[in-house]
Amino acid sequence: MEKDSSSPGPITWCGIIATTCVLLFLLQKILWLVVPFFLALVLYYLLDPFAKKMVLSGHTHNFAATTLSGIFFLVTINVLLFLYPMVLSHIDGWQDTMSRYMAGGYSLVDSIVKNFEQQFSFARNAHMADSMRVSVTSLQDNFAQRYLGTLIFTIAAWLPSLLLVPLVSYFLLKESNHFRQFLGQAVPNAFFEKILFLSHAIDRAARLYFVGLIKLAALDTLMLIASFWMLGFPAPIFLGVAAGILSQVPYVGPLIGLVLALLVSGTDFPGDVGMAYNVAILFGAIRLLDDFVFIPAVVGKSLNLHPLLSILMLFVGGTIAGVSGLMLTLPILGIVMLLGETLEIILTDRRLMARHAYAVQLRKLAAKRDLILPN
Amino acid sequence: MFKLLLKKNVSPHFSKLREVPLFADLTHRELGIIHELLHEREYVKDEIVFDEGEEGQAIYFLFSGKVLICRQGRPVDGAIAELPNGQFFGELALLDNSPRSAQVRAAEDCTIGVLFREDFLTLLETHVTVASKISLQLSRHIGKRLREAIHRYVL
Repeated sequence: MEKDSSSPGPITWCGIIATTCVLLFLLQKILWLVVPFFLALVLYYLLDPFAKKMVLSGHTHNFAATTLSGIFFLVTINVLLFLYPMVLSHIDGWQDTMSRYMAGGYSLVDSIVKNFEQQFSFARNAHMADSMRVSVTSLQDNFAQRYLGTLIFTIAAWLPSLLLVPLVSYFLLKESNHFRQFLGQAVPNAFFEKILFLSHAIDRAARLYFVGLIKLAALDTLMLIASFWMLGFPAPIFLGVAAGILSQVPYVGPLIGLVLALLVSGTDFPGDVGMAYNVAILFGAIRLLDDFVFIPAVVGKSLNLHPLLSILMLFVGGTIAGVSGLMLTLPILGIVMLLGETLEIILTDRRLMARHAYAVQLRKLAAKRDLILPN
Repeated sequence: MFKLLLKKNVSPHFSKLREVPLFADLTHRELGIIHELLHEREYVKDEIVFDEGEEGQAIYFLFSGKVLICRQGRPVDGAIAELPNGQFFGELALLDNSPRSAQVRAAEDCTIGVLFREDFLTLLETHVTVASKISLQLSRHIGKRLREAIHRYVL
């Protein structure tokens, strides 16, 4: 099957885009299942090279899967058990810290807006600083009342389903070959090789994509930690890791990371507007590096999608399914594209269709071979 | 789907793997590794396994029944060979994705094990000993066929 030389036709492309949209719409209804599965896939592709190394050193596939998933599960549980009392004992202090950083962020924005008002009369006439002060004060006063309860409830509701992550990745590590055999059993003989090729192609693309995402997150995190350290930020590792992970959520993530860094900049470097500009330039530069160097190098090749199509589909995905849509659009589009290509190849291959029809007839005849009525 | 969740039974064709010349040097445990990668397919008499000119992605092991290797669409006057159970065919697909050199049809109802090239390549990464034993047998088999072809050509 020459995958590279055969690109889908216009009708197939319409089907691919429509299917992707329908899937995004349906999947956002079962996010409690989709998100753990998505994370489990990331974990699976992260652990798979280690599993292969264990198998290579003489261990069985099952032992490797059990050991790696078990270690990950135990580490996660221990981290949670360690963090839980720490969170409870520091929660009051964190509330104060959060208020301090909010105030720092506000004073930074206030000084920028005042500066803006001095430069431009239309901003002065619109009383931008005053209206912003009212909004921020209202947000500070009502933040806990409006959002904190919902936030805690959401985290509590998501925790049980997130516990599925190591379990699903364990079965993916252990049963991936059996799943492929199971898939093969459902396919008629005539299409068997093509469908098996497809399943390997999907696995290859998903592996490149998810491993690419992990590499990208690591690169972003390292660059951010180094930059924050050079700028003299407090806790550069914590801030770099948070912003690096967030930056993997398309469009929204880098913005949230930037806001976090600006809050720290406004609080720990009060009155230093230049530092805020440095942070903005840093995030802009990392975004450009990601979009034009790292993503095409480590992620783009995996899905083989045109950049314009990727951007358009990200907007469509965001509209249909919000932030989860932004995360899911590209992998779903990549998989549906491979499915569409293979279906087009199979359905337009008259020889394969004829062989399948012939096999069906042969099987019907074979079923009644010895069923001849006596005279 | 429930079938996937049930405990897997060892296939009755597992013992047949030992009869395949390509797996002659493998231990019982190594045969188990191969068995996990194999796809079992059932073909009825006269069903086409693959066509001449089709791109090859897998090697086939005959667990039961017979297959006919012939020129495309000429099972009677274009017959090349008939393989009994325990034999294998389509082996060049393990090495590259060149087109199939002949058509293969089921001469009887048969059960065939299929090893996909991608799975064999994974085997090279994870089970080097198993893969090298298979590769050695495959090289011997191809060498034998080459000598036979030269012998036929010279004579």
